Amino acid sequence: MPASVVDITDREPRKIPFGVRLYLPEIVRGMAVTLGHFLKNIVHMSRLPTILYPEQKRNYSERFRGKHILKSREDGTLKCVACYMCAQACPADCIEIVAGEHPKIAYEKYPVVFNIDMLRCVMCGFCVDACPKDAIWMSRNYELSFFGRHESVFDITALAEKPNQGVKDGYGYRPYYPGDGTIPPADASVALVVPGDGGRKELREQGRLHEPEAVASRTRNA
Amino acid sequence: MTETAIGALSPASERVRERLSPAFPDGRSSVADLDLPTIETDPAAWPGLARFLRDDPEMRFDLFLDLGGVDNLRRPGKRSRFEAVFHLYSTSRNEHLRAKVYLDSEKPEIPSVIDVWPAANWFERELFDMFGVNVTGHPNLRRILCHQGFVGHALRKDYPAGQRWMCTEEDLYVPELARRAAEEADHYETVVVNLGPSHPATHGTLRIVARLDGEKIVEAESEIGYLHRCFEKMSETHTWNQVIPYTDRLNYCSSFINNVAYCRTVERMLGIEVPERGQLVRTILSEFSRIMDHCVCIGANLVDTGALTNFWYLFQCREEIYSLIEACCGARLTVSYGRVGGLSRDVPPDFVERCRSLLRSIPPFLADVDKLIKRNRIVWDRFRGVGVVTKEQALAWGFTGPCLRASGVGYDVRKARPYDFYDRFDWEVPVHRDGDNYARYLVRMAEMRQSLSIIRQALEIFPASGPVSANDWHVVLPPKNNVYHDMESLIYHFKWVMEGIPVPEGERYEWVEGGNGELGFYVLSTGGGSPYRNRVRPPCFPLMAAFEKIIIGSRISDAVATLGTLNIIAGELDR
Repeated sequence: MPASVVDITDREPRKIPFGVRLYLPEIVRGMAVTLGHFLKNIVHMSRLPTILYPEQKRNYSERFRGKHILKSREDGTLKCVACYMCAQACPADCIEIVAGEHPKIAYEKYPVVFNIDMLRCVMCGFCVDACPKDAIWMSRNYELSFFGRHESVFDITALAEKPNQGVKDGYGYRPYYPGDGTIPPADASVALVVPGDGGRKELREQGRLHEPEAVASRTRNA
Repeated sequence: MTETAIGALSPASERVRERLSPAFPDGRSSVADLDLPTIETDPAAWPGLARFLRDDPEMRFDLFLDLGGVDNLRRPGKRSRFEAVFHLYSTSRNEHLRAKVYLDSEKPEIPSVIDVWPAANWFERELFDMFGVNVTGHPNLRRILCHQGFVGHALRKDYPAGQRWMCTEEDLYVPELARRAAEEADHYETVVVNLGPSHPATHGTLRIVARLDGEKIVEAESEIGYLHRCFEKMSETHTWNQVIPYTDRLNYCSSFINNVAYCRTVERMLGIEVPERGQLVRTILSEFSRIMDHCVCIGANLVDTGALTNFWYLFQCREEIYSLIEACCGARLTVSYGRVGGLSRDVPPDFVERCRSLLRSIPPFLADVDKLIKRNRIVWDRFRGVGVVTKEQALAWGFTGPCLRASGVGYDVRKARPYDFYDRFDWEVPVHRDGDNYARYLVRMAEMRQSLSIIRQALEIFPASGPVSANDWHVVLPPKNNVYHDMESLIYHFKWVMEGIPVPEGERYEWVEGGNGELGFYVLSTGGGSPYRNRVRPPCFPLMAAFEKIIIGSRISDAVATLGTLNIIAGELDR
């Protein structure tokens, strides 16, 4: 069903109508609109679109991308194994990691330094997507102001989740959520998905595969 | 006539070749068949060819879309180091065409085509600024995006991406009209007014210098580039997916449309298809983004003209849409929701419900704004017959989007070349013949209602479950569960992060209907994990270029209203 082009020029009169020229009827009409909103807001005070910000806060979704959290294991050590994937995935180049050898053999590596420069960070969540160890999440905390540039780099102490303390404003963007079909890494019982090849074979058989063109494959002089 | 390569051309390219070869028998121009019919030529033949392309009854490429340069320094085997790549559109025949002009490698030079397409003016300045191409015959060839203290040409491949230059006070540009007015100050009663770069009425950092006679504008010049961060150079240093957060910041009022436009381009190069559900999410959120874009445009515009109430009504719609988008991806303004091959994650379970509640809550606000504005005497006096752009002017200046449709040309990408599901929906392209500020207001209001209608139809066919991303692990990240427990999946994951997507060698221009016009991405790949060149066709660049001509003869307060209805977004203008 193709779209149709519709000329809307003549839906409005070319000349200014008498009622409009008089001002008064239109003023009354306009007042009715604004007064309607005013009364509606008075009656439904709880549904006001504005909030009193520092006291009240907007309720953001569980996917909100706020300040980062470094997740911990049950024994309090960081889950991060300093693989540099998040630093590599970061489009703003704001993550700095220095890896060290962990005294506990099973953990192998750990981050000695893990800094996020909050002045560079664009809050895109690529680090969360890139982490293969479920070690970095984001919270719903968006109040990240500081007084000087020297405070803008958040280190492990600022980022690591303190055990039993909870996270300010709650968890935000993360790899899995309770109850929506995504699975935490602790659950190894769920069957794995077969690697996808993009269904190229089927598409090609149906003639629906757009093969990418080679550069200047077909050239002819005019 | 010699054949340089075997194989038949596509019908569209063949038509171009058949028409071109008798007119230009010298053999300097050839037709190549890429994603678009592509004419390859050299600078000497270009002005004549350009005139032919515009005037020939079977060509009629009347709309100048884009001009971007390419530096082939790291792409050996090309005819010359520099290319100027033009993208043209024919409104009467609904066809796109690319013209490549190969420039001299040592001293790149190209004749100006301003007399053929006036829209080329600023694009040619950008070509000079970014690549150091000398555009002969250009009346005002100076830097446009970079400041006057800048040394070198940023998009050349031998220019280091991290190089910066300070702009000192001596480097600040003073337009010729301001200097002249100062000399004549004693015996000629005009005043030079400087609007911006930081001015509440400019909605972004841009500067307009106008010479006033009384309250009338006699001359004006606009200066842009204050928000320039060379998005195109930065793309070259990032992987294909890392470019997505950068695209958010182009037109930040409708950042999701930018995501979609860019991802579509790369997807077409890869030859992959997004599943139906993913396409529909993209359609629905793109249309919501369009509504937000128009809300910002109309709302802010009306604030400039003194009607504050409408701003609150329209911004309430926008806030509610932002909440929906935030529930999908976690951010309100700079969404980064699209990924090459689909979306970053599936929509929340209550997505359809929330969309439907928005469909119910937005129309009353639009109706209220219409009640306050449409038949308002003050608005009629301020908007009607002000900032008039005729159909011919709009085409010559390279307008697209609502501004072109308000001047009477029914070109909408969603109709002209339906992508995703737009051909399945029943909707209208509103067109107005007047071309003034009031027409642009009406067209935008009508478009918002059409967008709502598209969303309503998309929700009807929206599948309850299914993938939103293509099932190709070279392109999209494998499911997290696999990454945690399976080595092969982890390797896919690792390659995606470390190396980027293997996009095959080639080039492509893909275009969608953005918030304020045709948003195109011209992307070149050499087969690596990051773009070789990523050129964006910014819809408000030609709009802003025309602004200094539209406002001549109007009052300074009307210029502010006109700037608002053109919808200039500095993030996209300056890139």
